[in-house]
Amino acid sequence: MSGGGGARRTVALVGRANAGKTALLMHLTGTLQRPVNFPGSSVECVESEVAVGGVTLRVVDLPGLASLQAHSRDEQAALDMLLGRAGTAPDLLCAVIDASKLAVELAFLHQLRRLGRPLVVALTKLDVAASEGFPVAIDRLQQALGLPLVVCDGRTGAGAAALRDALAGTDLAALTAPVAMPAVAPATAARAVDRSLTDALDRWLLHPLCGPLALVAVIVAMFQLVFVVADPAIGWIEMAQEWFGDLIGGLVAHDATRSFLVDGLVNGVGSSLVFVPQIALLYAFVTAVEASGYMARAVFLLDQPLRKVGLSGKSFVPLTSSFACAIPGIAASRILGDERDRIATVVTAPLMSCSARLPVYVVMLAAFFPPQQAGLLLFLLYALGVVVAVAMALLLRRTALKGGESLLVMELPAYQRPRLRLVAAHTLFAVRSFLRTAGTVILVATVVVWALAYFPRPAAIGESFAQARAAAPAGEAGDERRAQLDAQKAAAYLEQSWLARAGKAVQPVFAPAGFDWRITVGVLAAFPARELVVPTLGTLYSLGEVEAASDAADERLAASLRDTVGPDGRPTLDRLTALAIMVFFALCSQCVGTLAAIRRETHSWKWPLFTFGYMTALAWLAAVAVQQVGRALLD
Amino acid sequence: MPASLILPLTAAVPGHRYVVATVRGDDALAERLRASGVWAGAPIERLAAAPFGGPLLFRLHGYRLALRRSEAGRVDVAAAEGAL
Repeated sequence: MSGGGGARRTVALVGRANAGKTALLMHLTGTLQRPVNFPGSSVECVESEVAVGGVTLRVVDLPGLASLQAHSRDEQAALDMLLGRAGTAPDLLCAVIDASKLAVELAFLHQLRRLGRPLVVALTKLDVAASEGFPVAIDRLQQALGLPLVVCDGRTGAGAAALRDALAGTDLAALTAPVAMPAVAPATAARAVDRSLTDALDRWLLHPLCGPLALVAVIVAMFQLVFVVADPAIGWIEMAQEWFGDLIGGLVAHDATRSFLVDGLVNGVGSSLVFVPQIALLYAFVTAVEASGYMARAVFLLDQPLRKVGLSGKSFVPLTSSFACAIPGIAASRILGDERDRIATVVTAPLMSCSARLPVYVVMLAAFFPPQQAGLLLFLLYALGVVVAVAMALLLRRTALKGGESLLVMELPAYQRPRLRLVAAHTLFAVRSFLRTAGTVILVATVVVWALAYFPRPAAIGESFAQARAAAPAGEAGDERRAQLDAQKAAAYLEQSWLARAGKAVQPVFAPAGFDWRITVGVLAAFPARELVVPTLGTLYSLGEVEAASDAADERLAASLRDTVGPDGRPTLDRLTALAIMVFFALCSQCVGTLAAIRRETHSWKWPLFTFGYMTALAWLAAVAVQQVGRALLD
Repeated sequence: MPASLILPLTAAVPGHRYVVATVRGDDALAERLRASGVWAGAPIERLAAAPFGGPLLFRLHGYRLALRRSEAGRVDVAAAEGAL
């Protein structure tokens, strides 16, 4: 074997977005190893390595390309890498072409060929071409091309071994020799089948009436999966967190160290892990829907309504994902070609009520509203996010993000059954990527908030409670009293902590919305992740440990929220204030992970700061409006 | 073949055959259309339309391509012989 690669050869997979490149990479190398970051952009693609004989193949899956002219950030990055404008050019190109649209693919292959780089062709989706009624004669194609041609199946992995050998074993020098492009006649033959399965399905799924109904059913299924199926898994993570907390709490005697480990570190790890079930299920669902071919149909059906508000059909995936969690939603915005469409999607996605807001709604609704009103209010809070997002998108696309529009020009692929292995690989990849970026930010922020809530620790508080504790009757009779004292001690410490001081200092800002200093501290504590609001309120109301739950509110916290009175003897919270708090949380962007994701996707600090600014301002205004207008109407 | 009527792709009717005559303009959209196989001489057929004036779905070169009405409006087609 000869060739320039020696013991190491970089291969770039080039082809259209849905030619099956990523699936092929997985079958070629066995895994989706790691994301590749393109210098100077946020575009990410995947690469893996595999040893074949004496050669190490480094296979890079470039973002989808349909021609040698770039229209989106992804395409530009792919082109830069292909042409060696970013780093070294690959040793060998592997064109992944889709047999079901051979004529179009051959035109692209012709362009690739003129680059004069060594080229191997992987032909995929032969089965689709056959079932669609346009079978491909491989022998004739191979003869006409005069290039190494390997037939592969991205779904089953058939042919991957042959392709691996072709990529590792071909003589690069021989391939670089200029070859005249033979004339390959476009497939003009009559169709071999009358109506394919895809035609039959599309009759219903793109039907003017049944189509939208099927789309609603798919969205409902997604919500069920994210909220209902993920729930037990979230419960297990919370149980594990508690168990570890108790374990460490029992082992470490030193107060500050124990609190750091339990409330800072374990809580921080738990706060990021708690997102994993929903993110994993969401990705699995989105990948499966995408692989089935339905996602493009959803985009097709929703393009017109979303364009009316200044977005694009392709905004559908990022926006729907954001109902579970904005972090993967924002990452999904990369499919949008136009930069302005993309930014409008990214900065409005956090307005979709994510699952982390739910515990706040649940505890407030349980404390202040009868169940029959709670359901309606919950729906209205979700609707509020959507309405504000629409208004914001309209406003932005008419002002700061005026002009420009993504093209649609999109293939609707033939329907296929998604393969479990591919879905699992994508999901694992997404979870790892989440933990690496947002997860670490959430962990660090949780530890910072812990420190602010823990320090300072004046000795006087500890001593006074130690005396009161000693005065309590011994044995079981005093247990209740001691637990009460411990909860009061925790509240006393927290009340004079830096976090509470900050809360009290900031409270005048929230006074027009009716928030007392406790709720204000809750707002501040929410910054690393909204999960922290309910536990923080639990401590502030001297309840000891209170779990944030999305299904049932903690009864004691609900009662305390209702019954706590201020210095003037009036309750500090009432229904109106509870409503103001919920509206505030529906609109605010108190989530450091989301802001980190926006920074990563827009590659500037401008848009995360803008998102934080506009959402906080809107949240404050809306909360003040609820409080003031409501007060005026009630009085 | 007799001289056939040239009409915009948006006016294509399901169940009839057409052949792409020209793609007007020379911008990103025109380039993208060409890269998707919308070039002179390509047989094309309209399959479906999204509700509320949404995109149109066509078959060409054996695959399905969705175009917004504004995008399809850039393409002129000639009616080909015979119904499907």
